[in-house]
Amino acid sequence: MSDFYRLTKTDWDSALRSFISHYTILAPVEEEGHIDYTPIDEEDVERITYNKPKPTTPLKTLLLPVKESLADPSSPENPWLIMGIPACDLHAKSLLDQFYLDPEYPDPFYKNRTENSIFIGTDCHGHQEHCHCTSYGFKPYPTANDDIHLVRHGTDVYVSPVTEKGEKFIEKLSGSTNLSKCDQSAIDWIESKRKETVEDLDEHNKNLPGYEKSGELINASDEEIWKEYGDDCVSCGACATICPTCTCFLLIDKPGLLKQRQVDACQYPAFEKVAAGEDPLDALHKRFSNRYMCKYVWRPERFEELACTGCGRCIEACIGGINKNELIKELANNA
Amino acid sequence: MKDHKNIYLPIKAEVTEVIDESPTIKSFVLKPEHEFAFKTGQFIELTLDNIGEAPFTPSSSPLVTDEMQVTIMKTGYVTDRIHEFKGGEIVGIRGPYGRGYPLEDMFGKELLVLGGGCGFAPLRSLLYNLSAEQDKIEKLTFCYGSKTPGECIFKPYIDELRQVPKFEVLRSVDKVEEGEEWNEDVGVVTCLLDKIEVNVPNSVAVVCGPPIMMKFGTYKLLEMGFPEDKIYLSMEKNMSCGLGKCGHCMMGKYFVCKDGPVFTYEEIKDQPDIWK
Repeated sequence: MSDFYRLTKTDWDSALRSFISHYTILAPVEEEGHIDYTPIDEEDVERITYNKPKPTTPLKTLLLPVKESLADPSSPENPWLIMGIPACDLHAKSLLDQFYLDPEYPDPFYKNRTENSIFIGTDCHGHQEHCHCTSYGFKPYPTANDDIHLVRHGTDVYVSPVTEKGEKFIEKLSGSTNLSKCDQSAIDWIESKRKETVEDLDEHNKNLPGYEKSGELINASDEEIWKEYGDDCVSCGACATICPTCTCFLLIDKPGLLKQRQVDACQYPAFEKVAAGEDPLDALHKRFSNRYMCKYVWRPERFEELACTGCGRCIEACIGGINKNELIKELANNA
Repeated sequence: MKDHKNIYLPIKAEVTEVIDESPTIKSFVLKPEHEFAFKTGQFIELTLDNIGEAPFTPSSSPLVTDEMQVTIMKTGYVTDRIHEFKGGEIVGIRGPYGRGYPLEDMFGKELLVLGGGCGFAPLRSLLYNLSAEQDKIEKLTFCYGSKTPGECIFKPYIDELRQVPKFEVLRSVDKVEEGEEWNEDVGVVTCLLDKIEVNVPNSVAVVCGPPIMMKFGTYKLLEMGFPEDKIYLSMEKNMSCGLGKCGHCMMGKYFVCKDGPVFTYEEIKDQPDIWK
């Protein structure tokens, strides 16, 4: 485990207040039972939640807004400090990076945002009903893609820099706070909480097939199951919009040969339709199965990072009440 | 802080000439604001300001970089509007994008090029390229099919092609309307394949046209003994961003805009909905 440093929560809050003029701070705040990334003012600092799974909308929504003008890719005025990022969203960032930082065509809007952000990942203590990251081999604590790990323990906050950017931030933090290296008891506590959450998640999802197995089942399925579950789909696209790894978008033309980008979803009718009229996804059940094929079969064939991180948001967001995991379990039972 | 190149911004190009090719197909000569090089088979995104954007493979020679032609069938929102153009309009172009025709695989070989309808557009670019490098190929047979004689495009270019020593050109139409003149074949384009002599083991085939024609053309070539990796297909999908990001042109694991639009049949035969 990388080195953790301890500071008091009071010191951490003071530091955050002092950083507000230099950073745009985005952190999870709970409101009416939902946690979400929220811009933080001085009075919001104490409302930030720690170690609690998980923001309702994914990190993706910050890096790729639902709608944005593609006219000017200049950098944000202040760098972003994004806190409370769960491991599922950090893993999803790998896939987003592969799309949007592809060396041939790096997306300047995404690139500017990620280059000018400090990513603070957090351990999840406990899980929500549909969390299933461990079923797909992920841990419920950061293992990649953040600059700093942060865990709150009562009146203390433990921070661990994992990149150069993170180290610089911790250096800045050490100028205004009393930072000391965590003792073994703190490390033991972090590890025991991690172990506890992993065991809870494993138990909670013990009947769920793994990622590779899910891909095999989906690839071998016939269209009956997609018609059955797709009957409850209304093509609203919420599953794709809320998914931390879904990357599809629509380009809309604006005056001056400019473009606007808007989140899009393969669940919408005519997503793949061509001008001559051909439409491979002309039926709802085909669009419904397309998303599963994309996540579990096609993306893994060309990207190293998995295209489902087990966050369960698509299940929470589905207004038709479709439970992806129940569908995959049914495929497993019928196999 | 660093600013990065905006990959979504087109450059400007002037429409300098509009050429009627058939009742539904026109060619547009574009003069880009600066040199614009492309490889045969690659495509561009053509933007009509504040209206929309659509992908087209240039139909002109890739050896010419100060202007290009796109040949467009009137078939949708953007193409309906561009068909109203008279010349002098300013459009946007992005690209070139994707993987074009692999000329290096064609050198030293016999070429069988099968085209249908507006699918002649990308093929004309290839034919320009290959006629300029005809000393590097054995021979080229071009089989082109259209619905009616009136729908046949690039008529003056057909005459030019027939003058190229190593080139043979055959054409067919599905039907001849009353009063139309036609002294070539009648029938679907694949019927032309029964009339030609091809040394299959030393040949490469290229197919471009409407999906149904691509499908039956490919099956016929397979029947003739063409290996799956020697049949090149130009796929038509909803290529919106051209950058392998927006997802609209997905064909299984492939992004047609980036991995294609030219694929071998072997590469795509197991992907879903390739003929749709």
